[in-house]
Amino acid sequence: MAIALHADVFIPGDSPLHRWAVRPKLLSLLTLMFAISLVRHLLLLPWVFGVVGGLYLASRLPLQYLLRRLPYPGVFIVAMVGLLPWVSGETVIWQWSFLALHLEGLQTATLIAGRFLAILITGFVLLGTTPFLDLLAALRSLGLSPLLTDMTLLTYRYLFNIAAQLATMRQAMRLRGHGLRRQTLQRQWGWLVALFGSLLLRSYERSQRVYQAMRLRGYGQQGQGLSPTPAAGSARAAPAPMTVLTLLSAFSFVIAEWIFLAS
Amino acid sequence: MHIPDGILPAPVCVAGYAIAGGVTWLALKRINQTVDPQAEVPKAALLAAAFFVGSSISLPVPPASVHLVLNGLLGALLGWYAWLAILIGLLLQAILLGHGGLTTLGVDAVMMGVPALIAARVFQLRHRLGKPLSPKRSLAVFSFLAGAIGVGLAALIFFTLIIFTLPSTLDRSAEQGFLTALMVAHIPLIFLEGVFTTLLCFFLLRIKPELLES
Repeated sequence: MAIALHADVFIPGDSPLHRWAVRPKLLSLLTLMFAISLVRHLLLLPWVFGVVGGLYLASRLPLQYLLRRLPYPGVFIVAMVGLLPWVSGETVIWQWSFLALHLEGLQTATLIAGRFLAILITGFVLLGTTPFLDLLAALRSLGLSPLLTDMTLLTYRYLFNIAAQLATMRQAMRLRGHGLRRQTLQRQWGWLVALFGSLLLRSYERSQRVYQAMRLRGYGQQGQGLSPTPAAGSARAAPAPMTVLTLLSAFSFVIAEWIFLAS
Repeated sequence: MHIPDGILPAPVCVAGYAIAGGVTWLALKRINQTVDPQAEVPKAALLAAAFFVGSSISLPVPPASVHLVLNGLLGALLGWYAWLAILIGLLLQAILLGHGGLTTLGVDAVMMGVPALIAARVFQLRHRLGKPLSPKRSLAVFSFLAGAIGVGLAALIFFTLIIFTLPSTLDRSAEQGFLTALMVAHIPLIFLEGVFTTLLCFFLLRIKPELLES
């Protein structure tokens, strides 16, 4: 399943991006992502990709990391903008029978796909160089509710266990003949309702045991919650130039976009 | 039914975050008014994980198969916690799978979470409006409505957002025709989601009725 394939989101390393303190990194890269989503002119895309490519190179993440993670979200964007060049615009640049490729649609599709790719790569740079627990700790230090961070921690902690449990249950179903013989639709639905229902029940029962164990360790007493402790040795220094350069780049996109609109 | 990064203009993404922030504040306020808000955290977290994983199950609908959204069911089972569960689920989907996006997280949360909260209210209405019906019939009607309303409203918000943010070069009549066809195509899915939610509620009623009453 896709979840199991992408469990290794964080890649340990010693790049400037890895050493960048998590809070300014999170805020700077989020600002950059929003600045990229402001871009509406194709001419700005090479500059956007220059900045994002520079960040990716500075992060020293392997190219395989990007190539392995790109196809799944890529399918969605192709499905969403793939039709635009054929149905949007007036200037026909290629035609075969009733199929006509329009310049304006092609430009719009390129712009959307470009923005998507640039934001996605920026997201990969953030997640590939920051452990998830560090991100949660940074979010909590920025004022995110402890209840929300506790819930996120627990969901993340048990996600892979539950995915493994579902895989085991599916295997057990196959061993009992599900999918091997032709069955009525009603029976197939019955199997799947029981499968999903059992998954919910097992998760619920486990949550009761988890809660009792947490209470025994003092959870909920005098406001004690789960604290996402940053990984040891992470974000050892805070390279201020990275923050300044990233924010300047984000600012440059906004200014360039404003100049294009004014002209 | 997630909007990926890059599709929506920045002001819409920012507005999405602002609305999501407001709903999160309201949900946390309502949760903190309960006797022991932390007692429900493990349950909500593990059920959120189960929903996240369970949404990968595809249902056979000849000649194809469909993946269910299940936000209505999540609302029916978790109430206000459903909003937090959806927010976390979307964040993890964006991080682990690259599905959805970080800039569109607020918009996606509003699109999936607000219908889940409405579905939760609809499911609770069975205690008041379902009185003339037998308990089982009342559960069937209101669980179907919760499931159908959850995905139906999410689809409506999705298509509204797409219509208002589509490029101006697109032929308006072609665009509206295409989107209307897509909306119509979603009607069977809304029905299927309602049926699945009903079947699952009956399964839970048989095995663990306390899950429906929490």
